[in-house]
Amino acid sequence: MIMRSLIFSLLLILMSISIQAQVRHQEVIKLISDSLSRDTSLSLYDRNVFRGYLRWSKLIPSQSILQIAGNMGTCSLGIGWYYGKHEQWETHLLFGFIPKHDLKNAKLTMTLKETYRPWSVKAYKGLYFEPLTCGIYCNTVFGQEFWGRQPERYPKSYYSFLSTKIRFNVFLGEQFTWKIPKYRMTNKKSVSFFYEVSTCDLYLRSMITEKYLKLHDIIGLSLGAKFTFI
Amino acid sequence: MSYLWFKILPLLANKLVGELFIIQSMPVRMNNKYNLDMIEKIIISGVILLCLTSCEAFDVHPYDVNVKGERNINAKNRSIIEQQTFDQDTIRFACISDSHQWYSDMAAAIRDINRKGENIDFVIHGGDLTDTGTAREFEWCDEVLRGLKLPYIAMIGNHDYLGTGEEYFVKKYGALNFNFIAGRIKFVILNTNATEYDYIASVPDLNYIREQSIVDSALFDRTIVLMHARPYSDQFNNNIAEPFEYYLLNFLKPMFCINGHDHIFKNEQIFNDGLIYYGLPSPNKRKYMIFTITPNSYDYEIIDF
Repeated sequence: MIMRSLIFSLLLILMSISIQAQVRHQEVIKLISDSLSRDTSLSLYDRNVFRGYLRWSKLIPSQSILQIAGNMGTCSLGIGWYYGKHEQWETHLLFGFIPKHDLKNAKLTMTLKETYRPWSVKAYKGLYFEPLTCGIYCNTVFGQEFWGRQPERYPKSYYSFLSTKIRFNVFLGEQFTWKIPKYRMTNKKSVSFFYEVSTCDLYLRSMITEKYLKLHDIIGLSLGAKFTFI
Repeated sequence: MSYLWFKILPLLANKLVGELFIIQSMPVRMNNKYNLDMIEKIIISGVILLCLTSCEAFDVHPYDVNVKGERNINAKNRSIIEQQTFDQDTIRFACISDSHQWYSDMAAAIRDINRKGENIDFVIHGGDLTDTGTAREFEWCDEVLRGLKLPYIAMIGNHDYLGTGEEYFVKKYGALNFNFIAGRIKFVILNTNATEYDYIASVPDLNYIREQSIVDSALFDRTIVLMHARPYSDQFNNNIAEPFEYYLLNFLKPMFCINGHDHIFKNEQIFNDGLIYYGLPSPNKRKYMIFTITPNSYDYEIIDF
């Protein structure tokens, strides 16, 4: 089981790595790379080493994120990357924490989140309003009582529809971004606050099959903040 | 316990946020008051948000177990039932089972039971209160069951084990093997979901069966045994199906057994030894059962609603 969750986490990380992250600083990196190839004092090996550094530097996360609730724990912290022509796509990797409450143990969760923000409206000076954020996230919870596929003790396709470990969630929300003016920038480019309304696959399934449940029964609110560095 | 986390988490968040965002910017601009103000605001709002998570609007996780409302319902209702039926010679109880996600059907059954209320002493839920064992499903089921005007007892079904469901059930309803006495009849509820334990737990607990024939033996003359999964079903530990029957017949000597899990009405002897197992229909079939125990015999009805 540990092996399986390890493979899962590796996959998640690989997926995030495969994304081309930075947008603006790309040009600077390109300049450096050009000047590297022109610099005759460097050996071929040195050049390749520096190019390697530059290539990996693309994967440096550009955001950090803090999210409250949202079926991924009371409080989740993570890193993220934004990309796309208008920086409208975001990918986040979060680690959340489920407090003990009435459980025997507190639990850790991991989430891979994909966000799409089609519009950004300038509201006031550096303050931007993004009227729609939407996306999906995949959440996995660590613990022996959860399984990805039904264990062998059950007859075939006993709980075939279900995985207690992996949850798929959908969300809709809004976001305020404050782009820090250049003269005040220290280590952050912008700060965003967002709220989301989300639900998970199990609840959706319940609502579709049962008319007793209404939309407000299955949705939950979540709040958070993002800090963009690069 | 949750209050503890409200103390620790803000501290943790404070530390993390502090380390990430303040300390890094310190050497650059120590006198940048504006930046620190914002960080403070973030921390304060974070703390407020954390406190807000105690509200129902925030979903922590489907398998987060934070039991709201009443706890230990079975034990509370047991004392109510035992008091109310103390000197009764005829006992009448309704049985619903395997409600899974069929909340509106269960609600209709419960409305029907409430209408017949004066003749019925209590209600038993035969297990599978949820479909996937999430906390919200338990809450939805509880919401419907609270509509009952009669005391009720719930037993655990195999679906209630999924994820952290078992822990929720134990906190909300109580022990998995359970008994109560109504009139002079002892109801013994046995946990028979052996597959959920991968057959390594004492499920069904034979010692409990023997114990229950002795405990309070002055207070009862007859017994009724209830379980979620009957012998030879996919949940039962079928290696001990015959010893289980042997223990029942030799120690508890039940009038009959009631089980859930199969979703359809059944009325048969499994071992051809005179002990009848009644399988309960699930509410989506728009059926539930009422048993009437008279001093000398018993009767059952299948109610369509």
